[in-house]
Amino acid sequence: MRRRVVLVDDHGLFLAGVRAELGEAVEVVGEAGTVARAIPLIKELDPEVVLLDVHLPDGSGEAIIDAVASERPGVRFLALSVSDAAEDVIAVIRAGARGYVTKTISGEELAAAIERVASGDAVFSPRLAGFVLDAYRSEQAGSELDELTPREREVLQLIARGYLYKEIAARLDISVKTVESHVSSVLRKLQLSTRHELTRWATQHRLV
Amino acid sequence: MALPAFAASSSDRALAGVCGGIAEALGVDVTLVRLVFALLALAGGAGIVLYLALWLYADDHTWPAAIGLVISGSLLLHALGLSDRAVAGIALVAAGLALAWRRGAGLRPDAPLSFGGYALVGVGAVILLAAGGDAPAPLLAPGAVAGGLLLIAGPWLWRLALERDAERAARIRSDERADVAARIHDSVLQTLALIQRHADEPKRVASLARRQERELRGWLYAERPLGDDGSSIVAALSSAAADVEDVFGVRIELASAGDAPTDGAVVLAAREAMTNAAKFAEVEEIDVYAEVSEAEIAVFVRDRGVGFDRASVPPDRRGLSESVEGRLERAGGSATIVSTPGGGTEVELRIPRRAS
Repeated sequence: MRRRVVLVDDHGLFLAGVRAELGEAVEVVGEAGTVARAIPLIKELDPEVVLLDVHLPDGSGEAIIDAVASERPGVRFLALSVSDAAEDVIAVIRAGARGYVTKTISGEELAAAIERVASGDAVFSPRLAGFVLDAYRSEQAGSELDELTPREREVLQLIARGYLYKEIAARLDISVKTVESHVSSVLRKLQLSTRHELTRWATQHRLV
Repeated sequence: MALPAFAASSSDRALAGVCGGIAEALGVDVTLVRLVFALLALAGGAGIVLYLALWLYADDHTWPAAIGLVISGSLLLHALGLSDRAVAGIALVAAGLALAWRRGAGLRPDAPLSFGGYALVGVGAVILLAAGGDAPAPLLAPGAVAGGLLLIAGPWLWRLALERDAERAARIRSDERADVAARIHDSVLQTLALIQRHADEPKRVASLARRQERELRGWLYAERPLGDDGSSIVAALSSAAADVEDVFGVRIELASAGDAPTDGAVVLAAREAMTNAAKFAEVEEIDVYAEVSEAEIAVFVRDRGVGFDRASVPPDRRGLSESVEGRLERAGGSATIVSTPGGGTEVELRIPRRAS
């Protein structure tokens, strides 16, 4: 059963490239290049996964998630970006995206990431893992963020170092399922944190 | 070719300022020039005609000036006692040469032939030779022809010398060009290629452009060969990663948590580790992760490539032991290399942060 996917990105060339790379792995049911067009399209098509650019000409990916999530709770979002800005990525994750991958990802890896997101798991790219570790690192004293457990931190560090889930499982001598649950737990903690926290974090890093 | 520049003097003039202009051009006293013209004027009016000719020349009337010069010369020769026929012959030769020269003739193979000019020279020479009885004519005839040839060949020889100089200058210029081209290729063109590859990453493009600008300025104005981006660990790692990507055509994913002022040893060692992975691991992608905490800087360079057995690395390959391990130890840190044949390699660099 191929996953039904909507692509939201304003770069035509990139869309064509993703389509070609994904090939038969997923079913691309729709494409949109702006927030305004993506919102009704996603509501209408009700796909399993939306591949979402963090930056769009008329807004951010975050705005789409905010507008769609309540009406279509089954839709899962995977952020796909080239943006290096930690605060943008964290904002989309906070809004509800189940993961973040960079546009340099290979078609095969992207298909695997879509599958993982569709089945309810989180997808952390090395860069996202770094951003998250950074966010927690700078929130040590008196933080309202739920602290990461040592194990979660360890898993995130290995992701940042480029380890795949199964490699992390082998290294830590745990199951892949356990790795996935650690990552999902990190995602949940991140999404439960208040906007205020993250704004403060971003300000400290002179990101906003 | 350009005719000598000459303009009538506007400040030092008795009549039209011709004498003043000549004095200025030759750098001699104007009185002396006037004296010469006065003497020439006595020679059958040659000086007067010459004066008019030069005046016309200063006014850019080249042709009437040339005719005037020939007439003036004829008058002078006549005054010196040459027969009418000899003077006519010489005048024809001179006029013919002038004509040929103005047409751009000369011994250059591609120069246009001036048949009119040569015909005039020939007729003049014949008249001169036929003037037989006149004493100076037999002496003058060969001299006139030889002088004529020199007049024709002179500009050509001069042009030849100029061309040789120009060729040498061009060769020096082209050597310089090649040198500049090599430098531009190594820096600017590589960066432009990178920018095209990352065209949809505005931040990356901006940082590449900034880095290149800094480097180019360093080269142009400060004679600096190559400046590294020293602003922070992550910036320096990202610039090193971009270089390695560029040279070896691999993809390097750089993740980071925290940042700090750069540390030369750890960045250079990480760069060497990336280069090693790009060269030997046979992979397309390398992961680099930098974690900066209060206490230390840790950098991980990982590939999922062929790996190697430490014992089988020839001792003359100093990359890992010297550039990575040795460098880190000298800087007070440590390097750990974990590699399994077929299972990839990870280089772990740790260095305590200096109290600052």
